[in-house]
Amino acid sequence: MDDVDAGLFERDWNNAVYFFALNAEEQIYFRYGGRDSASPDTYLDLHSLEAALAEGLAMQQRWLGGELKLPPRPQPFFAREIPLLVQRTFKQHACVECHLIGDFQNIQREQDGTLDKLAQLYRSPDIKTIGIYLDVPKGLVVKESRDAALAAGMRPGDRITALDGTGVLTFGDLQYRYDKVARRASQVRFTVEREGHPVELVLALPARWWWTDLRFRQSSVDPRLDFEDRPLTGDEKRKLGIPEDGFASQVKHVAELARALKTHDLRVGDVIAGVNGVERDDLANTAELYLKLRVRAGDSAMLDVIRDGQRIQMRLNTHILSFRK
Amino acid sequence: MRILSTSVLLACAFASALAAADDSIDWLGDYRQALRQARETHKPLFVEFRCEA
Repeated sequence: MDDVDAGLFERDWNNAVYFFALNAEEQIYFRYGGRDSASPDTYLDLHSLEAALAEGLAMQQRWLGGELKLPPRPQPFFAREIPLLVQRTFKQHACVECHLIGDFQNIQREQDGTLDKLAQLYRSPDIKTIGIYLDVPKGLVVKESRDAALAAGMRPGDRITALDGTGVLTFGDLQYRYDKVARRASQVRFTVEREGHPVELVLALPARWWWTDLRFRQSSVDPRLDFEDRPLTGDEKRKLGIPEDGFASQVKHVAELARALKTHDLRVGDVIAGVNGVERDDLANTAELYLKLRVRAGDSAMLDVIRDGQRIQMRLNTHILSFRK
Repeated sequence: MRILSTSVLLACAFASALAAADDSIDWLGDYRQALRQARETHKPLFVEFRCEA
């Protein structure tokens, strides 16, 4: 990626394979790729790729005939414009790999004080969170709708054709556009083709619709906590006398690394009632998520822990995943 | 870590491959060369990025 225009070929940099179809003026016809947290292959299928390619050729003919208007090519951007990445790669005569672009963009942003974790760490929100399940070999044809998608009227057999007014041809297009939705948005508009006619559907976005499992990203700005938790119910919070609108959570798993790296002394069953004296947050519903969003990787935090009915203060030392460096 | 490779393909060749069920695809390795060819031949580009971590 040393000399590749990362502005033109911008994407979620944690994809193992990704394709672009574009014309000679570098206007993109479609993107093919994208993934979910479970697998890099979830949305890849030769049938849908073949269909997209055929449509791409048709778009080319329409463009040559002056019938297709496309946005101009994006502004150029190159890996060498990220100072920290230059130190890590160019100056060490090392290759610029895809994931390093995304990782070092965020490291640079964090250093510059401009990192927006919601949009730049929690990338590519999962459409399954809003109840959209695709018939993958058929591209953007809906196989099943649940939750928000079902409530909005999305039906099996609908073909998604646009998101917030921007046309999409492939899952790669859809995921790329969905990733651009403001994280504090309350709704998103889908256009589907149903029985040959366009139908507009407005989906209400649930809380934390943007949340995904970050582990596959191995991101440097993702503070490593070495525990997992679950949100407490309202009843559980009442019994413990802690705010019902707070993010108090119960530890459900402690990684072996926690002991080795002295991250913390948490045990399964511990309740984390607060972090650094804070018990509430407008985004986080668990202490884990609060730490991910509000604490810088490598920094420490003080946990307010309830264990066997007793309150204890416990230090948490987050660490940075560094093996890729 | 495996090294990223970038391949550029002219869509016409790919369409031919689809039609003839031909397994050979003539990938190009130079994006700027492919862009020039696309301009000269009025054909689109199909660009593959493979990032192996």
